[in-house]
This record gives sequence, C-alpha cells and structure tokens, in this order.
Amino acid sequence: MSDESKFSNIQNPRTGPVAGGSSLLIGMILVTLVLMFLGAVYFDRHSGWFSKQVYGPYASVNQLEEYQPKSGVAAAAAQGKRVYETVCGICHGPDGLGKPGQAPALAGSEWVVTKGFHRVAMIPLAGLNGSLQVAGKDWNLSMAPMGAALSDADLAAVLTYIRNSWGNQGSPVTTEDIKSIRASMGGRPQPLNGSQLKSMSE
Amino acid sequence: MTVNEKTDNNFGGASVPASRLVSSLAPPIDASLCVPLLALFGGAALWLVAGSVLALIAAIKFHAPGFLADCPVLTYGRVQPAADDALLYGFCIPAGLGVVLWLFVRLGQLPLRGAMVPVVAANLWHFGVFIGLAAILAGDSTGHAWLEFPRAGSVVMFFAYLLLALWATMNFAGRRERALYPSHWFLVAALFWFPWIYSTANLFLVAWPVRGVVQAIIGWWFANNLVFIWLALVGIGTAFYFLPKYAGRPLQSYYLALYAFWMLILFGTWCGIPQGSPVPAWLPTLSAFAAVMVLVPVLAIAVVMWQTVRGGEKCAGLGGPYCFIRFGLVAFLLSSLMLIAMACPKISLITQFTWFGPAQIQLQLYGFFAMTMFGAIYHLLPGVVGFAWPFPKLARLQFWLSMIGIVLFVVPLAIGGVVQGMKLHDGMVFLGANQAALLWFRISTTGLLLVVLGNLLFALNIFALTAVWKLALAKNIIACVKPALETIPAPASLRGEEEVKA
Amino acid sequence: MKNGFYVFLAAFVALGGSWLGFVYGPVHQLGGAGETAVLNSADTYPLQRPGDATLGLQVYRANGCAACHTEQVRQTGTACNVVLMDGGKNPVAVTNLISSLILTNLTKEDADKVSDKITAAGGKSETHIIATGPDITRGWGMRQGVAEDYLYDQPVQLGGLRAGPDLSNIGVRDPDANWQLTHLYAPSVVVKGSTMPPFRYLFELRQTGPAPSPDALQFPKEFTLPAGYEVVPTPEARQLAAYLLSLRANAPLYSAPISP
Repeated sequence: MSDESKFSNIQNPRTGPVAGGSSLLIGMILVTLVLMFLGAVYFDRHSGWFSKQVYGPYASVNQLEEYQPKSGVAAAAAQGKRVYETVCGICHGPDGLGKPGQAPALAGSEWVVTKGFHRVAMIPLAGLNGSLQVAGKDWNLSMAPMGAALSDADLAAVLTYIRNSWGNQGSPVTTEDIKSIRASMGGRPQPLNGSQLKSMSE
Repeated sequence: MTVNEKTDNNFGGASVPASRLVSSLAPPIDASLCVPLLALFGGAALWLVAGSVLALIAAIKFHAPGFLADCPVLTYGRVQPAADDALLYGFCIPAGLGVVLWLFVRLGQLPLRGAMVPVVAANLWHFGVFIGLAAILAGDSTGHAWLEFPRAGSVVMFFAYLLLALWATMNFAGRRERALYPSHWFLVAALFWFPWIYSTANLFLVAWPVRGVVQAIIGWWFANNLVFIWLALVGIGTAFYFLPKYAGRPLQSYYLALYAFWMLILFGTWCGIPQGSPVPAWLPTLSAFAAVMVLVPVLAIAVVMWQTVRGGEKCAGLGGPYCFIRFGLVAFLLSSLMLIAMACPKISLITQFTWFGPAQIQLQLYGFFAMTMFGAIYHLLPGVVGFAWPFPKLARLQFWLSMIGIVLFVVPLAIGGVVQGMKLHDGMVFLGANQAALLWFRISTTGLLLVVLGNLLFALNIFALTAVWKLALAKNIIACVKPALETIPAPASLRGEEEVKA
Repeated sequence: MKNGFYVFLAAFVALGGSWLGFVYGPVHQLGGAGETAVLNSADTYPLQRPGDATLGLQVYRANGCAACHTEQVRQTGTACNVVLMDGGKNPVAVTNLISSLILTNLTKEDADKVSDKITAAGGKSETHIIATGPDITRGWGMRQGVAEDYLYDQPVQLGGLRAGPDLSNIGVRDPDANWQLTHLYAPSVVVKGSTMPPFRYLFELRQTGPAPSPDALQFPKEFTLPAGYEVVPTPEARQLAAYLLSLRANAPLYSAPISP
C-alpha cells in the first residue's frame, strides 16, 4: 500500500511525489463509524427529533408534556403576584407596606379589603388624585391608572393577590367581575378624588 | 525546485543571493505576483498591528476600567470586536488569499495574468476593512459577532473577494501542471466557501433580517464556517505544501489527507451552535454530534503531520518559516481539541461564557492561522519580490516573540476561564468568580504585549521589503528613461546660442 | 480527486448540507414565529418593547454591551416540589406523613407518587414545577431562555461572554431606573469590585440650576459630586435604562414550563 510507484501519476515537479496509501486509513474509517453510531444514539436521546418546542434539558415532547404545571387557585394567586411585582410593587413596595411620599400601604388598607370588588377595581382602572386618608394616615398624591393597560385576567389576579396577602383577608376577584366593570365604564374615566371614592359603592 | 533540494530555514532565500539586485532575478512565474502580494500583505501587516494594539487597549481596560473610558470611540464594547475583526478580516483573510494565489501559481506553473485586477481588489478589500472598523468604533456595528461591519464595508469586501477568487480560479483552471496536489483541494474549497457564507450571513442578518433567535443561529453557523472551517482549509492546505518541502519528504499520505479533507468539510461545517443556547434542542445536539466527529479529521491531520515530519529533516530551532508552520499545526490540533471539548454538554456547562472561549478563538486565529501565514510569507515573498528580507534576524526574533506571546496569552486565559466556570458552577457569587479569573487575565495580558511586539517586527520587515522593491523599481525606471532623454535634441533657441558662441 | 470540478462539488455538497440544516431549516421552522400563550393565563408573550426600550436596544448594540453581558439563561433540569395545600379531615395524620417524605427536588414520577400518598391520607397537595441549574440558582431567571424571548429584538444580542452578569431578567432584579443609570455612570461605586467601565459619556455633568433637575441621578452616600453639580442622563442613557428595565423573561411557556 505504500508503493509510491503506483501513484506516480500524482507526481508534481513542484512538490515531488506524494506517498500513496496508509494502513491507518482503515483504522480511521472504523473510528469514524463508531463515533457516528454513538452520535446517532446521542441525537436520538437529546434532540427532541426536530421539534421546535423541545429545548435543552427536555428529551422529547412527551417529557415536556409531563412537566406542564396544572392550573389551580395557587396558579392564579401566583400570577397575581407576578403582575404585582412588575406593576404595583415599585411604588407600593414588595411587601405591600407602601413607601412614604410615593404610595400608601396596601396591607391593612380599608380601601383594599372591602366586601365588594367594585371600588377596589376602580382605583387602578381610573387612577386617583388629591387627598385621601388611608389607615389613619393622610395622603395627597396622584396615582396613574396602572390597571388600565392590564388584561381582565391580570387585573383580577392582582386584585385577588393584594386582597389575600400580608394579612389581608378578602374575597377573590374574578375575570368576569373585571369584564363587567369595564363594560359599565364606557370611555376613559377621570382620576377619582377622595370624596368621589368615599361616596362610591363597594 | 525538486523536493530534494534543501529548503533554507534560515531566511537566506535559497534561490536569491543576499546582495540587493534588480528584481529581474525573481523567477518570472513568481514575479507576476509581485504587486498583488505586496498589496495584500502590506495592508494585512497594517491591520495586524492595528488589531493587536486595539486588543491591548481592550485588555488594559480590564485591569483599569477607567482607562480611556470617557472616549466613546474606545469603549470596550467597540474596541474588542474591532480588534477581533481587524485580525480576522484585516490580516487573516487577505494573507490567506495571497498565499492561495502564490500556491496556485507555484503548483500550476502558470503566471498570474492581468495582475492589475488583483491589486485593485486587494486595495478594495483593505478599504472595506477600514470602513468597517471605523463604523464599529463610531457605534455603527451591526451587533452580530464576527459580522460587525455594516453594509458599506461588507459589500466592498465581498466584491473584492469575488475578484480575487475569480482570478485565482482562472489561474487554477488554466494551470500547466494538471495534477492536483492535496493542497489544491483545501484551497479550492476555501475559495468557494467564503462568498456563500458571507453573502448568506449579510443577507439574512443585516439586509433583510430574519426574526428573533434565527439571527443568532445563522450568526453561529457563519462564525463557525469562517473562523473554524475557512481558516482550517487555507491553513492546512498551506501546511500540507510547506511541511513536505521543509521535511524533505513526501506528504504522508495521499489518502489520509483526502480523508481528512472530506471529514473536515462534511462534519466541521455543522459545529457552532453552543450547548444550552435558547434554541430548540435539535440544533445544539447536531453541533455536539458534529464536534465529536471532527475528532476524525483532526486525528488524520495529526497523523499526516507526524508521519511527514518524523522521518525528515530535523528543525534546527532557528525560528525560520519551518518553525512557524510546525507551531501553527500544533496550535491547530490544540485549538480544535478545545473546540470539541467546548461542544460537550457537561464541559460546556463550565466553560461556556468564560474566558475559555476567547482563548480558543485566539489560539485558532493567531496561534494557528497567523503563525502559518507568517511562515508562508517569510518563505515566499523574497522569491516573488526578488530581494531578501531586510532584517532576517528580526524575523527570527519575531518567531520567539509571537510563539511565547501567544502561549502566554492563551494558556493562562484558558485556565482562568476554567477557574471562573468552576466557581460559577459551584454557586459562588458572580463577582467572586470574576475576581478569581482576573489574576490569570493579568498574566495573559503580558502575552498580548509580546504578540504586539512580534507583529510590529513582521510589519517592519514587510514595509522595509516593499520600500526596497519600490526603490529598485524607481532606479530601474530612471535607468531606462535616462538614455532616452539624452537622445532628445536640445531646443532650437539653445542650439542657436551655442552656434553664436562657437 | 483528479479534477477541480470534483473538489468544487465536494465543497458544494458539504456546505449545502449545513446551509440546509442551519440556515434554511431554522428559518423555515422559527422564522415565522409569533407570540405564544403564557401558561395558565390569557396573556400572550412576548409583548413588544415600549418605544424607548426599542431605541435602547440600539444604544446597547452601538456600545457593544453584548461583549461582556449575555442575555440567555441556561437550565440543566426541571424538578418538582410538592406543597401541602389542605390538611383535610385528618391534619395530624397528614402532617406526620409529610414529615417522613421528601417533598422538594423530585422528578415528576416521584412527585406524583408523593402526591398520591397525600391524597390517600385525605390531604390536598399541589405540584410546583421549578427549573434547576446554576443560572437559575443564582437568581438570573426562573426558566431558560427560549426563542420567544427574542422575537421582537433586532438585532438579537445574546452575547457570548459573561464578564458581567446575565441580563435576561435585569428588569425584574433591578427595576429601578435610577439604579440602572447610576450603575452606568459609576459602576464601581454602585457595585463594589466591578470591572465595568464607566459610561460617563452617556451623561451630562452640569451645574445645578435654581432647583435640582428631576432627572438628576441620586447617587449612594459614598459618592459625592463636586458642590453644585448634578448628573443628568442624555436621551441615549434613558433609552438604554428603559431597555434594561424591559428585560424580563419569566413568563411560563409551553417550551419552558414552570409554576409561576
């Protein structure tokens, strides 16, 4: 196999002859085949077979299906917590205790823990302006209608969350409740002031 | 030159006397390449130095974050990509194309016709790189790794490459020696490779961007095919020509080299998608599969190198072109092994997003490709230009500076990356892991300093050789024009004065 | 190979294969992607970034922030935690039962078994799905990054090196615009030992007028400006801060399921 004369037709005066074959080639081919087999097994186990939904640690669509969380009351409250942290918590605090000069506490607030859901939902939907007393403290700030941009489900979830956290004990608010309030609202409401809020039904 | 002729590893230039004579001593076939190669290599040397200086500035910013921080042009996020692109597009590709042209002309025994076109193309390429680097520093980078040049630069570079590749292909098609040498496979494939990947990447990422994470996928495909495959094709093709020459032995062996070529292009092109990336699992899995398969061509190339070098001439360790090429091949093997390691999911969990990645890239770009190009250029340019290197001792010094520099740069950086990765994996606070890596980073910056010095020496030699050639050319022109001037009769008025005087 | 044409053919086949696999394939599969539904919610994900944040992405790109920061969270596994919701009629027995069981870091199978045991004892339990991995443990995200997270980004800035922390969820970790801006102005003051360069050229150091500007940065106590001076962000700095605050990737999705 190393008979150079066999390959004299590849002799190039610029470079001279190139040696012909090599017994190592058979070994290389064997190594290639073994690696290809191992690689195919690896692909079968980890690729999810070209599914566009199977990522990283999941091996197949079946496994992905198994790990889908089931919905439930806890899921809704957790969704509300997520909305709270991204929308409300910046001003009202991650623990609902509020920040002086920025926003009153929601924990123990009489405006949050109400029997009905109407008034507590109108606050994020319409916004607030002017002086208001919350849990014995006087506040004179304005709140933008932070809930106007939220979906019905999200607003219901976050209201449920604040009514049931930090010691608050309130009834949950459902998506239908928010839908009905929005339907009755008509156009964009003006921000409410303290007296309007007090006279509103719960 | 037959293979049995001893090739001088000592920069003497075996076929060229040391005295500085007119360029007619260059073999006419090689001489046709003179101006294109000087244009390509001259610009490449410039970008090499610029790139390493930019890299040094970027590295210093890690030791002193406030260093030049108020200058938006030199902020780290612009200087680091600019340094990488200057090395890859400014030095590696034009140097590679120049060596490809020389190898085609040499192996095919056909002089380069119409050499003006490659000269124009070379200058266009360097102009495009200039626009691209200026754009990055000005804040106009495209935001894609290894593709930061905006349209203005990349279109110019694309057409410049097409011209050069066309001229090389025409020379290859018309060659007198019809037999294909193993280097031909690698180099022909490389000529074809770049336009496809470059145009695809620019069309899908910059011109009509695809949506979302597909940009990253195509970006990874492009980067792998350029930084790994294209450089490997040109570098290994070059090494397969020079190794047998210097070892004084035929390449061992034809079929192994062919196998290495096939396996490299078949599997190497599928590497690139990092493990754990936010893409569907089949993509990183395919890349991991391909990376393990790349062990085969790496092994084959290692065997070819070992068998060719083993029985041949011993290298005297003088720091000549043979030393550059052999170091480059060893660096190729090491950097490919690092690449394969990084593609294994368990290892990638530790090395990903650490300094291990940049270490591997620099070993590939500089340790393998740039060093191979240095060796090739030091060998071929005197024969093309017709003059010996003006500073052969500095060229030998450059070998030591570049070799020690790149080793000192890559090894601590890689270790630092592994240290950083392991600490992060164990749950250490992020800053603590970074601090642990910083010590290794400091050591690697000293390596970078040596690399900068080596690059300066290389540029010095190239520019000095160009100056010598230009001076000789000017002298030649004057020598030709002078007798012609003397035969022109003096103007009538002067002749009249002379007659009156007489 | 004897012929240049065959070399060209070989290169064409090899590169064509990977082009089909890694360019045509993903464009076909993911290129037309749209928003997906968030698990257990009526919302879709992702939301378009607000205007300032989209401009901020261009500032992020122009300054090469992706050279040091990544925007991809990795996940190495998924685990289940079983949580007792209700003791039922026999709370003491149920409490005794769960004190003998492992409730955290279970596989789905084991979690189902535990859940069945609790139900058999009369209690009510819920299985929470959590992602696991060093990035998750470090608090860089609640789940791994998926294609939907980058749907509206042009260009996608995944990053490749973590010289600085991952930023996929920086809008959740540090939602305060003032913190982001002060960190950009003087990183080593806000984060001790940081190697991030100060981006002072994105700000304006100017003399305070009759009243401090509402945009002026509030620095920590240790950092004092010269008397009578304030630092005001330029529009670019504000856009960049808006972009950073918009970086949130925690929504549970079908491809990356977690219990919120």
